[in-house]
Amino acid sequence: MTTSSHSAVQKTVRKTWQTLGAIKTGVILLILVVIVSAAGTVILQRPATDADEMQRAYSPQVLRLLDGVGLTDVFHAWWFVTLLVLVSFSIIAASIQRFPNSWRYYARPYKSPDESFRNALPNHTLIPIGDEEAGLNIAERVFHKAGFGPERIVRENSFSLFGERSRFSEMSVYIVHASLLLIFLGGIVDALYGWRAFVTLNRGQQSSQVETQNGSKRNLGFAIRCESAGQENYTDGTPKRWWSDLTILQDGQAVVHKQIVVNDPLVYRGIRFYQASYGKTGKIDKLVLTATPRDGQAPRDITISPDETLPLDPDTTVRLAEFIPDYVVRDGQIYARSSELENPAAHLVVESKKSGRAVNFWLPAIPGFEQNDSSPYTFEGKDIQMAYFTGLEVSHEPGQWSVWAGVLVMGLGLAVVFYFVHVRVWAVPVRNARGQLTLWIGGTANKNKDVFEQRFRKLVEEIESQLKVSSKAGAEAPVASLAGK
Amino acid sequence: MARIARAEQQPAATGTTLVVMVGLGVAFLLFMAFLNVVKSGNLLNDSNLLYAALIFYSGAGTLYLGFGVTGIPSYIRFASLATWAGLIANTGAVAHRWYEAGHPPFASIYEMLLSFVWTLAVLTLIAEKKFKVKVIGTVTMPVAIVGVVLMQLLRTEVHPLVPALQSTWLHVHVTLAMLAYAACALSFALAMMFLIKDKMKTETFLAATSLFSIGTYLGVLTRFEKWGGLSVAAWDPERKSEVFLAKSVRLFVVIPDLGWLMLMVLAAAAAPLVLYLVWRKTGKENFIDIANRAVFVSILLQVLALVFFLLRARDGRYGSLDADGLFSTSLAASPFILSGLVGGIFVSLLYLLLLWRREDLERMLPSAEELDRITYKTIAIAFPLLTLMIAAGAYWANRTWGSYWSWDPKETWAAITWLVYAGYLHMRVTRGWRGRRAAYFAILGFAVVMFTFFGVTYLLPGMHAYA
Repeated sequence: MTTSSHSAVQKTVRKTWQTLGAIKTGVILLILVVIVSAAGTVILQRPATDADEMQRAYSPQVLRLLDGVGLTDVFHAWWFVTLLVLVSFSIIAASIQRFPNSWRYYARPYKSPDESFRNALPNHTLIPIGDEEAGLNIAERVFHKAGFGPERIVRENSFSLFGERSRFSEMSVYIVHASLLLIFLGGIVDALYGWRAFVTLNRGQQSSQVETQNGSKRNLGFAIRCESAGQENYTDGTPKRWWSDLTILQDGQAVVHKQIVVNDPLVYRGIRFYQASYGKTGKIDKLVLTATPRDGQAPRDITISPDETLPLDPDTTVRLAEFIPDYVVRDGQIYARSSELENPAAHLVVESKKSGRAVNFWLPAIPGFEQNDSSPYTFEGKDIQMAYFTGLEVSHEPGQWSVWAGVLVMGLGLAVVFYFVHVRVWAVPVRNARGQLTLWIGGTANKNKDVFEQRFRKLVEEIESQLKVSSKAGAEAPVASLAGK
Repeated sequence: MARIARAEQQPAATGTTLVVMVGLGVAFLLFMAFLNVVKSGNLLNDSNLLYAALIFYSGAGTLYLGFGVTGIPSYIRFASLATWAGLIANTGAVAHRWYEAGHPPFASIYEMLLSFVWTLAVLTLIAEKKFKVKVIGTVTMPVAIVGVVLMQLLRTEVHPLVPALQSTWLHVHVTLAMLAYAACALSFALAMMFLIKDKMKTETFLAATSLFSIGTYLGVLTRFEKWGGLSVAAWDPERKSEVFLAKSVRLFVVIPDLGWLMLMVLAAAAAPLVLYLVWRKTGKENFIDIANRAVFVSILLQVLALVFFLLRARDGRYGSLDADGLFSTSLAASPFILSGLVGGIFVSLLYLLLLWRREDLERMLPSAEELDRITYKTIAIAFPLLTLMIAAGAYWANRTWGSYWSWDPKETWAAITWLVYAGYLHMRVTRGWRGRRAAYFAILGFAVVMFTFFGVTYLLPGMHAYA
């Protein structure tokens, strides 16, 4: 490559870098982000909206166009991600380009103002004084009382005063922008390495796999088991509380146990399990019955699950063969009308080992099917516990710590930006045009200049009144002046 | 020098007359309410306190507008007193609601409006005292009145919190939102005051008022049905809620002829803008005079439309395009149409206040530079609050739904609002934008806030369905 094309490349690189850090670039990028985001709220987005609704809302051509450009999933489209990346780059470029100057300003306080600075500063005044040292001492006292912690700046043959507050506020802008970058970083990490999934568990069921949004399965590396779950309602029937008792099993061993509710997830190895939903499966979990033997012995309560065989006595067993939550008899057949618990029927099979007979006991006694009279036991229904499932939202967000860190830093940064003002004050003994000894007092603030103007005036008044007091108290002969030019 | 267009000077009424009239009106309404209350036996419930707050805020609003008619400064003082009285009643309502519900008032749009109006009243009084902008109530009180009117119509049953809302982070997030939005409302009012003091032409305000009314009625007319009716949501009077055909699909009924009326009002609201444009083209002054009269006419028609809407939407059963039979509706089913209509009337009235009393208003305001600075200071308060609100919302969402940012429409628009105000601050600090440009930006910011707060809920459904 020849030197000229090499420097042409350098030039292009430099120009690109400068454009990237320009305010105009930032503004344009942000306007684009706003427009695109707004579009993403107005245009129906997949997968939140299901396919039929999309087809109902838009004509086929429009839908094809929107899908093709990516406007139906704006926030995951490659060009949106690129836009956000460009915004980050522009923040980085702008910060790096401006930082050296700011740092120079921050690291090297301007403690000894020269003549042109003194004359040009908006907030300044000249107070005639008799004695240089006395005047400076008074100024020092007043500065100190106002919280400026003044230091003496030694010059060739005199000294001046310099005081300041909240110097760090000059760097606050970089803090805020850095915090934005932290947040973006977190977002990017989560987009690349984070995932979300769902798992449904029945009571007692465990799973080591969860199902992601696109239907694929993901292995957890451990198992989660639901011991029990429930829902509490308010008196008007709306849900008050969903809870699940969960256990984590690592290599078969129970390691963590927690009862979770909405707003309070279970966290294990960076994976979070949230209580998302709860519902009935429509099947029965347990049936509680009172079994009364015909031979007059005491009745017993038994709890039986579907297809479970329970011994009632050494000779007899009972099995729950069928449970229909909402039964209806039609054309000589028993049907399930719905899965709601409206009209339940239980089919028990009572077997006697001795006789080898199995009797069909129906609760309630459905004519044509029941053989209740032949049963050695009679049963009465006591309680029906329907089976339920608990729905857990599962997520892994490794980047969130960067996001929360960014939020904290931004809070601090904004507090400094808005509420900490970098204020500087100086006091320099000078001779005015006529050769008289005066004390030059000057001050500046990097924001809220109107408020500072008032404070500065008060500061000057305080110095002036104290000078009057001291000159009245003792008339001293003018000491040889040490003031410079 | 451009002639400031003004209608004929209104004859100066005696200073005390209006104050006495307003005082009597307030006393009368309170007395009637008290009688009603004695009958029902329950004095200090939040519905009554809210009604009292409404009466006081209305009194304050009337006095501000009375200042508009007469130019007498003491009205401003009495209006301030009325605002104080309204705030006390409002605080009572908030406290009572909190006590009854067992949680701070944040769970439904009714409760949020209650908090918002309270915050607005507090900030109005702070602005009057601290920033010495005594006429700020002319803008904020109408907003408060619209808020209270809305609340009278929305579901007020104390609803126990669904599981996702049972979190301290809810209270933190919503408190921050209410504070932030109220501060933005204040910055909007201050930016308007700035434009007035900065000698923005009254004709420009005329055009802006007309544009706002056009926008409002266009919004209402999105519900225009083919044969001149207006669609409104159906309402189930027993269950006191909207009627749903399927999950989040509302049933709409058509009120006949209301669409034509709204269309007519739209035309009347657009007339001043058209006349303004003609004036711009031709330079003939009398077009502005006609435009101002047109504003007056449009106010009358807007009031007519409101009354018609109130009468029709309050009872009556109407047919629907989606289902057979007749269904009832209620004012509670159309909070956004109602607030649009009432808000539009107020905006037009405020324009008339400006038209008739501009010099008096300007006299009562601090300098333009000062107003510009105060606007900046208000946004310097609002912006950190917005930031914290978004952060708290993200943290809460993470604990409840497992995701701190899901590009939900409400979240996205909150971020857009944040970006707009960040833009304002940037332009001010790095570009030295002051004055007019800064004021426009502040007004744009508030428009985005209003869309985030109302527009997203009304037009774009999502996970934020609670509010």
